[in-house]
Amino acid sequence: MRVIYALWLRNFKTFLRNKTALIFNLISPFFFVYIFAGIFKHEGIGNASAFMLSGVIITMVFESTMRISASTIDDMTGGFMKEVLVSPISRLNIAIAQFISSATVATIQGLIIYVLGLFTGLSLSPSALLLTIPVMIFVGLVFSGLGLFIATKAKNIQTFQAVSLAVTMPLVFLSGAYIPLSLLPNAMQWFAYFNPLSYAVILFRAVTLGKLNSSGAELVHESIAFKIGSFTVTPIIAFGVLAVFGILFLFLSTISFLKVDFSKMNRNKKDLIDF
Amino acid sequence: MAEMARKIIEVENFTKKYGKFTAVNDINFSVDEGMIFAFLGPNGAGKSTTINTLCTIFDSTAGSLKIDGKCVSSNKSEVRASIGVVFQDSTLDNKMTVEENLKMHCVFYGVPKTEVDNRIDFVLDLVELKDWKKKTVGSLSGGMKRRIEIARGIIHYPKVLFLDEPTTGLDPQTRATVWTYIVKLAREKNITIFLTTHYMDEAEVCDMVAIMDYGKIIAHDSPFNLKKQFTKDRAYITAKNCERLESLLESKSVGFQKKEKYYRIDIGEVSDTLNILSELKEDITDIEIRKGTLNDVFLEITGREIREGAEE
Ligand SMILES: Nc1ncnc2c1ncn2[C@@H]1O[C@H](COP(=O)(O)OP(=O)(O)OP(=O)(O)O)[C@@H](O)[C@H]1O
Ligand SMILES: [Mg+2]
Repeated sequence: MRVIYALWLRNFKTFLRNKTALIFNLISPFFFVYIFAGIFKHEGIGNASAFMLSGVIITMVFESTMRISASTIDDMTGGFMKEVLVSPISRLNIAIAQFISSATVATIQGLIIYVLGLFTGLSLSPSALLLTIPVMIFVGLVFSGLGLFIATKAKNIQTFQAVSLAVTMPLVFLSGAYIPLSLLPNAMQWFAYFNPLSYAVILFRAVTLGKLNSSGAELVHESIAFKIGSFTVTPIIAFGVLAVFGILFLFLSTISFLKVDFSKMNRNKKDLIDF
Repeated sequence: MAEMARKIIEVENFTKKYGKFTAVNDINFSVDEGMIFAFLGPNGAGKSTTINTLCTIFDSTAGSLKIDGKCVSSNKSEVRASIGVVFQDSTLDNKMTVEENLKMHCVFYGVPKTEVDNRIDFVLDLVELKDWKKKTVGSLSGGMKRRIEIARGIIHYPKVLFLDEPTTGLDPQTRATVWTYIVKLAREKNITIFLTTHYMDEAEVCDMVAIMDYGKIIAHDSPFNLKKQFTKDRAYITAKNCERLESLLESKSVGFQKKEKYYRIDIGEVSDTLNILSELKEDITDIEIRKGTLNDVFLEITGREIREGAEE
């Protein structure tokens, strides 16, 4: 416990001390909110800004976990991770600390946008705020597993950035966060069904827009939930699916982290990802 | 240094390959408790690879490596708890303060909470950086960072301290300071020190030296014995009467080399050399005796020089 707490605190402090990144990370979300909200006003979505903002926040949570994994790689190839690994603490504890710090930082970034959103006149229900926090932490944990998994496989920062860009872009755009899935071509919709972020978006949007109790048909009509065939993915089901993805990611990344061979880690060399 | 000393590091038939490339090729050595042991060798010899494997970061390709009787591949956490490591590249957390770095280390090694502050003060005292406790590591000079790393390496009272090129890249003054701490640690705290270096003068003052080249240990003994075995002391002489000097040296069959301004004479037995020199009393205008160095040992065995102070 003492170890996990210490590592968590360290990662959290590192995040806080990097103020420039903190501010710059907040710019693009708002850009997306205003652009897309403008477009979707004409598409029959009730509260376009709030709809967009909730998608943007959860995307932000997702992207932060990936960014934090990049700093994990930095630690791994260079200095600090070596100090961690040569110490007698178990790698499992290190992995757990990584997950928790990722989730914390991601949640905080999500919260900042949420609160800024409230001030800039975007109407998200403030009462939903309390419930959104655990949802953000949950989503952060799920994707911190994915981030760490890619980090341990990529082995250097260049590969990681290439891979994470290749993973992040399609996951974000084919999740319904910015563009409702019903507007996508059929094949893309199929991709979205296998996209864990799609389920995070349903869950988070239902919570932030206060629609947890709405019927499935209503949610589908408002583009909050989607249907696979005739089966409606309600927020509760989305939660379940996401939990399964989460367990899978955490499990795979922990295994991968436990057995990663650090003599193959390299700060400069560009080697291919090796699965 | 008696035969009775306990072996704290034992390495048998250790080989490490990176893919097809063999970085360390079937080496054997052991280190007695309480010693300063140096790995001396040129760039790429395999020194860091050996250290990284001994301290459990890399897995060996073949062979058995033990620290304090425990196998480094099957007893990782016990081995890790009993060693301190200063890697070739800094592993400090630059965004954190000196104190935060040391505290973190204490947590990792399970130093009791009540003792942490005392130990931090103790090690910072040792490397004379107490005033820097609250400074961010990133703002320290290279030499200070190195000293902090050494301090951190011993804060959990390890049995063995690994130092991978502890003084490379430091200015001569800082190098000397850092070296003082290392010797102090070994002698006063009885910590076994395993270090790598390509500085001859540092290797000279170690108890034991293993010379490494292309993944092999090519010589392994105390600096004194190595020099005795592989080098000769030399006298550098300038003389008034060169012909007389040459003929005398030839008649006594003393090996010499004529250089532009001086003669270089290999000194075998000191008494013989003194006799020759006394016969030449009137002719000699200048004389300098140079002892064999570890560089000469390396030169003698490999035909190359370890570039002194090489950095890559
Ligand atoms: N991660 C790695 N992957 C592939 N080859 C490596 C790796 N690390 C080291 N090598 C190679 O193994 C050999 C030995 O490297 P090592 O770092 O052990 O040398 P060294 O004796 O510490 O040299 P230096 O004095 O430059 O630090 C070198 O030829 C190096 O190129
Ligand atoms: Mg090295």
